[in-house]
Amino acid sequence: MKAWKYKRVMPKIITEKLRLIDPKDMKELVGRSIQDLCLALADTVYREEISEIPSDQLSSLSLERAFLRSFMRTCRQIMDHSPKDISFLLSTILMKFEIGTVKTILRAIEANVKIEEMWNLVVPAGNLNEVECRRILENSQDINEAVEALSDSEYGPALLESIKEYEKTGIFLFLETTLDRFVYERLWRSAERLRGLDRKIGKAILGLEIDAVNIRTLLRCKALGIDKEQTKRYLLPVSEVFRESELEAALESADIESAINSLSAAAEFAHARDYRYVLNDLLDEYTSSLSLPHLELTLEKSLLRANLRMLKRYTPFFNIGLILAFLSLKWTEIRNLIVCARGTEGGVSPEKIRELLIFQE
Amino acid sequence: MSVEIANVHPTRLELLRLKRRKAMAEGIVDILKKELDALTVALFDFAKEIPSLREQMTSALDQAYNIYVEAEMIVGPRKVKELSLVAQPIDFDIIVSERTGVLGISLPTFELTKEAPSTLGPRFSMIDSPAKLDESTSLIELALTRAVALSQIEASMMEVLDLMSVKKRQVNRIQYKILPQLVAAIRYIQLILEETERQDSIRVRVLQRKRKERALKAT
Repeated sequence: MKAWKYKRVMPKIITEKLRLIDPKDMKELVGRSIQDLCLALADTVYREEISEIPSDQLSSLSLERAFLRSFMRTCRQIMDHSPKDISFLLSTILMKFEIGTVKTILRAIEANVKIEEMWNLVVPAGNLNEVECRRILENSQDINEAVEALSDSEYGPALLESIKEYEKTGIFLFLETTLDRFVYERLWRSAERLRGLDRKIGKAILGLEIDAVNIRTLLRCKALGIDKEQTKRYLLPVSEVFRESELEAALESADIESAINSLSAAAEFAHARDYRYVLNDLLDEYTSSLSLPHLELTLEKSLLRANLRMLKRYTPFFNIGLILAFLSLKWTEIRNLIVCARGTEGGVSPEKIRELLIFQE
Repeated sequence: MSVEIANVHPTRLELLRLKRRKAMAEGIVDILKKELDALTVALFDFAKEIPSLREQMTSALDQAYNIYVEAEMIVGPRKVKELSLVAQPIDFDIIVSERTGVLGISLPTFELTKEAPSTLGPRFSMIDSPAKLDESTSLIELALTRAVALSQIEASMMEVLDLMSVKKRQVNRIQYKILPQLVAAIRYIQLILEETERQDSIRVRVLQRKRKERALKAT
């Protein structure tokens, strides 16, 4: 392990980690109006993005955009301080947001939304800066033209390939799944590019994140009664633990509980103890609540726990664990802020808002 | 069935015929009133179902809205708005058929149908959307089912009310038009017949007196 390569990124992460909102302060934000929330966040890292929102446009929607921009700014700063291999991984994590922006643009074009209305939904990310997003939005009349405009990007060839299926079936979801598959495959590849302990931690955390997506998709399709062949189209058999055969076995299970058991058996066979912990949490939650939304919340909490477990299992410094754990904590903080903002705006009771918040234990 | 007194022949045969018609009209009124009672009971049975169905519909809509807001809280309002732009629409349809209700009248039946989800696949991206959105959608479907059931009951009530007004008109016509005319015609014939009887008895008495006088003269 070359500890020296972390000489710049570790202090940056530690500083950024100290800037995270304390769980106690986060709980106090529950029930506050959007204006109060903005005032309370004036002393945080979100000040810069929030101050750019015109006061008459202050809403949970504009705040969400501000939080996302702040997250991406933080990611870029960490990337600038990171060694080359970790920087590549972080660029892939940022690409997830870029793919999100591409999906937003494609969805807006598919629905024939006016450009100004579209602009409220688009958050420029990665290589898609504001100018580029506006160029695509203004010059594309339909999906084909938008895909053509994106053809010189990394995901362009994959998009061009899937546009044929979209034209044949008219199912927009195939385009989205192609983009998701592209970014998660790239994420897995970038984890495999790491070396030593970083590779071990990276593969464990990112593999778990990718498979969490598969678990969610699989269980929801099962709950919705979507047939096996349809479900398989939306799964991402990328990681080493849940390959196509394991996911197929889970798909053939009679119900959600047996599907979780099947995945748990696959995790045990692969000696993936972090997977087992997550799946045990899921099984406990499902048997007690029989609710898929509760299951998703538990999954999110378990992923955060798995991230933080790496810090205890290995040394918290001089490896990728702290970076991934920080990003996970930061994302959870943004998620919690959106929960508070939208919850208050939607007239949700403070008790219910608190139920949906996620904190590190 | 109406009777114009001017056209009535004041005969005993006509009187008997009118009396039979009056008895029949009274019988019809009786039957119509019983039918009206049965329709009223059916109407109240339908009306009783409405508050609970309306309550179920509004509570399903309330829950769906709350869960929808929770979905927005989890993934952000922007994402949910985005997903709504390309969500595959569900093809709902209402099949209208008929069933036999009270007194054998045909009442409408509405059945909400939708395309099987297994053939459609997921409606929106599984990665970007939370399960709460599915829950909210299924509650909206439940609210729709309740709304269709509610409209079926309201349509049935309209049918029953239509029939009730027809029956009421029939009862009123017999009770307040035909029966009074029949009673008047019967009374008229009875009066005529009584008058004829009186004239006949006077004529008989006069004839008897004349016969007696002729007998006295002869002796």
